[in-house]
Amino acid sequence: MATKDSLVTMLGRANVIDDPKALEAYAENHSFDLHFKPWYIVKPKSAEKVEELVKWANKTGTPLVPVSSTGVKLRGDSVPSVPEAVVVDLSGMNKILNVNRQHRMVVVEPGVTYDQLNAELAKQNMVIAGSLRPKAGQSVLTDVVEAVPRLNPMIQWNFFDPLRCVEVTWGDGTRMFTGEALGGPRDLKAQWAKQQWQVQYMGPWMTDYYRLVTQAQGSMGIVTWASLKAAVKPLIHQLYIAEADDLESLEGFVYKAMWTRFPDEIFILNKFQLASLLAEDYDVDELKDVLPPWIVAVGAAGRELIPEVRFEARSKDLIDIAQSFGLDLKEGIANVPGRLLYEKVTSTDKNEIYWKDDYEGSHQSVFFLTQLEKTGLFLRAAREVAEDLGYPTENIGVYIQPKHLGSSYHMEFTFPYDPDSAAATARVQNLVDALSVAVADLGGYFSRPYGKWAGIQLNKDAQSLMALKRLQGIFDPNDVMNPGKLAV
Amino acid sequence: MAMSKDFYRALEDIVGARNVSCDPAVTENYRCITAQSSAHYGPYATRTPKPLAVVLPGSTEEVQQIIKLCNKYKVEFKAASTFWAAMGYIGSDNAIQLDMIRMDQVEIDEKNMIATCEPFAIGGTVSVEAMKRGLNCNIAGVGCSSSTLAGSSGWVGFGPSSIFMGIASENLLGAEWVLPDGEIIRTGTLGSDGEWFCGEGPGPSPRAIFRGWTGTAGTLGVCTKISIRLHPWPGPKWIPVRGTAPAYFADGLDCVRAYTVCYPDWDAYAESFRLFYEADICYLAHRQFNMFGRDIKTAMVEIFTHPEKQFCDLPALMEDPYIKEQNEQMKVDVQIVMAGFSDRDLDYKEKAFDEILRQVGAHKSEYYLQQDIEDFVKLYLLRLGRKNYNYTLCSSYEGNFGLSGNVFVAAPLMEEAAALKRKWEQTHTGVAAVGGDSDMGSVSGIGGGGTTGWEFFVHFDGFDLASIEDSNAHIEETAAWMKEKGLGTDFGRWNADARKPDGYNYSQAEHDSFYEKLPQPAMAEYQWKIREAFNPNHLTGSYYKTLTPKEFRKGKK
Repeated sequence: MATKDSLVTMLGRANVIDDPKALEAYAENHSFDLHFKPWYIVKPKSAEKVEELVKWANKTGTPLVPVSSTGVKLRGDSVPSVPEAVVVDLSGMNKILNVNRQHRMVVVEPGVTYDQLNAELAKQNMVIAGSLRPKAGQSVLTDVVEAVPRLNPMIQWNFFDPLRCVEVTWGDGTRMFTGEALGGPRDLKAQWAKQQWQVQYMGPWMTDYYRLVTQAQGSMGIVTWASLKAAVKPLIHQLYIAEADDLESLEGFVYKAMWTRFPDEIFILNKFQLASLLAEDYDVDELKDVLPPWIVAVGAAGRELIPEVRFEARSKDLIDIAQSFGLDLKEGIANVPGRLLYEKVTSTDKNEIYWKDDYEGSHQSVFFLTQLEKTGLFLRAAREVAEDLGYPTENIGVYIQPKHLGSSYHMEFTFPYDPDSAAATARVQNLVDALSVAVADLGGYFSRPYGKWAGIQLNKDAQSLMALKRLQGIFDPNDVMNPGKLAV
Repeated sequence: MAMSKDFYRALEDIVGARNVSCDPAVTENYRCITAQSSAHYGPYATRTPKPLAVVLPGSTEEVQQIIKLCNKYKVEFKAASTFWAAMGYIGSDNAIQLDMIRMDQVEIDEKNMIATCEPFAIGGTVSVEAMKRGLNCNIAGVGCSSSTLAGSSGWVGFGPSSIFMGIASENLLGAEWVLPDGEIIRTGTLGSDGEWFCGEGPGPSPRAIFRGWTGTAGTLGVCTKISIRLHPWPGPKWIPVRGTAPAYFADGLDCVRAYTVCYPDWDAYAESFRLFYEADICYLAHRQFNMFGRDIKTAMVEIFTHPEKQFCDLPALMEDPYIKEQNEQMKVDVQIVMAGFSDRDLDYKEKAFDEILRQVGAHKSEYYLQQDIEDFVKLYLLRLGRKNYNYTLCSSYEGNFGLSGNVFVAAPLMEEAAALKRKWEQTHTGVAAVGGDSDMGSVSGIGGGGTTGWEFFVHFDGFDLASIEDSNAHIEETAAWMKEKGLGTDFGRWNADARKPDGYNYSQAEHDSFYEKLPQPAMAEYQWKIREAFNPNHLTGSYYKTLTPKEFRKGKK
């Protein structure tokens, strides 16, 4: 029991959990990857305690697995891949440390959720750029650090926007700030007193330290706060929708709309994904029968400065552009008002069953980066693989999201399945495995290489892998941070 | 230092005899005159060391071979493309200079708005090729005659367009990099599938070590090709130009509007920036012509826009009642360019702009509403092709103060900073007297706004020792003022820790003495570890900032 005694001494009895049921619950997740029940769950309440914990882990050789969100675990990245690991649950570190309207900056701890943050930001007429209907317990910090795509790519001048600076305890136990915040004292209050709001994420010298914690699945260190750039909340907003019979018909409009930068949100859904999003209000099977095969949703907004003028200009221009590509951009389609869809995509899912699981009980996803013009290739591959394995292609959900001003496109396939059926589970597992390989062969890029994707992706490029290994050797020399992830 | 004959012969074998030289007539030309390069650490009346040889590689493979050779012979190397500043030059007598002039290709992927650029593809070329396809690129403040790749991989890379187009770091997608040990790394999708559209990951981005707030100033190997994000351009495929040198004017850019804003005070100036950021209406935003100095800027623009006028006309122009009155209104000013992607868009931007000016009590400069002057500004800022103007006043300049970052912190200090410079102008002949305030720079040093990037131009005579020394002493005082105010490192001293006044590299012991007092020294200790991992023979000079980690300093290992 030496380990438990050490942890209790460090963090207090209430913050060290070894109840078998609780340990089981932390191991539950959607992935098919090898995983272990954690040895302990610990709940540090400060960055200082996190630092102490990581130093202890280095001394004792104990693997640490950080987790900040609550609710269903979709990807397995926060579940141990090795035995005798300690899960570091940061969901209790959930303070919004600072909100600055002048610079639209906010500093949050790992446990802060979207609902909590947006309620606070709304008081100053701001909002954080969100991802597609996250679970209610989703950590904003984790979502952003893991580069989950935002609905509005137009305010992403940088690939990782709205992420700016972070505080990180690296795997070697060194705690430091990044970006602008690294140039000053390791004391946020002292920096705020000098009107330094952790705006500038780069450097501050020649190394972008924050980039080393992004997409890392907690394998480089533990982030204990992040500064995020908020947006001004729209005073007038409309999510317009255009329908199409095939994906290719949307391509020209999306390219052009991205070129103009007129949209706020912009994303593509197929009918199954759209119907799944609306499952609270409609029967999915009935709805998918009346929905068009594809839609593109485009937001137009007016904010504090002459909102009506901006909204009208954006709305009319987007409608005109769509028309020039043979698309009819409307305030809603077939029982789906744009406002309802906007409400769904921008709010969190507070239901016990996550919306992607609602149809059959569980789901698997395959997502990667590509370019818009190549999405059709992957769509065909997904259908072919599904058909080969007898998976109903009409149940494949598709979500395409431009990122970083349209430099790259997140493409995501969702496959609902019945987890209580061994045959269905085996089929979807085979489907995900086969499609992942097919995607990689076609040039799909697993920028966030969860589970088996790590091997598929990292094996494509030996030099990048070697560089990554060298960096892991510097920042986590004893391999205590979430070992087994990003492994080849 | 003598160079091995075998080493030289091996260089010839790699690039061919006509692409390598150790002739002093050639190598002498690869010494930087540090008083003339805006080196951000002087100015000094010195030159950087003479290279053992100058090599002109023609491909990534040749660069790799050269670096492998340098590792074998333990010879330092530094690559540069357009040689804007001292950081492109070597810092040791045992070093060769790579001149990347032969690698100059640009390719544009119109649909996906991506340009791939070799080192000697300059900003002007990239923007011209992009504009043919309805696109444009962020041209860094260094100007369109400088390498796009160098700005993206080597240094900072923001400029007038950064508010709309982001800065070089944000636009950098893929990169091909020959590491200091001679291995080649290709970031993101390039390494994975030969595609250029994403440079991040997979997983945590190795790109982190190649490009931070600044690039690595050529210290982490040689970047041989990059891809950058392009941005929309609503104008014609090329910019029609009228006029006689140097008075060139953009013709018929109806979808583009250029204004100069006159503010009642610095508070209004700062508040307007916040509103510009939020309204997202600027295509370009820069305080540009104040670089000549508050007292003379309008007279200088008169000279540049009238080919018959000369610098000897400056005193008379400054006394011209109209110029004088207009100049007075522009004490606190900024240039704003808006581009309309539709008629409605331009109409919205104009109205939003007017509303911002109304809210902060500012107005449009009447002088800059003259058609020729507006067209001059459009061309100047869109192309950023007049970097020679930086030198016209006195032959050289150095940027100091560097009141970057939070505009609400910097703006209230501008008059105090201007008074400090004015004192030197009045008491020392070596610093050009232009009215104190010669602040210029970007309204945004980050895409979409949020930080600024300013500097005060100190105009001086780079061929006059007294002028060099006066300017250096002035910058020394402003650096102390910056420190006292808690404003960070003076821009004129940014590289004071990168190269010694004599032009040579610092030693590790010297770097240790600089960085051990950092508020968070880990930032320099990790860079030491990164250098040990990727540049084990230390062949790239001292622009890379490293602190020997505590455990090694104390002799524990």
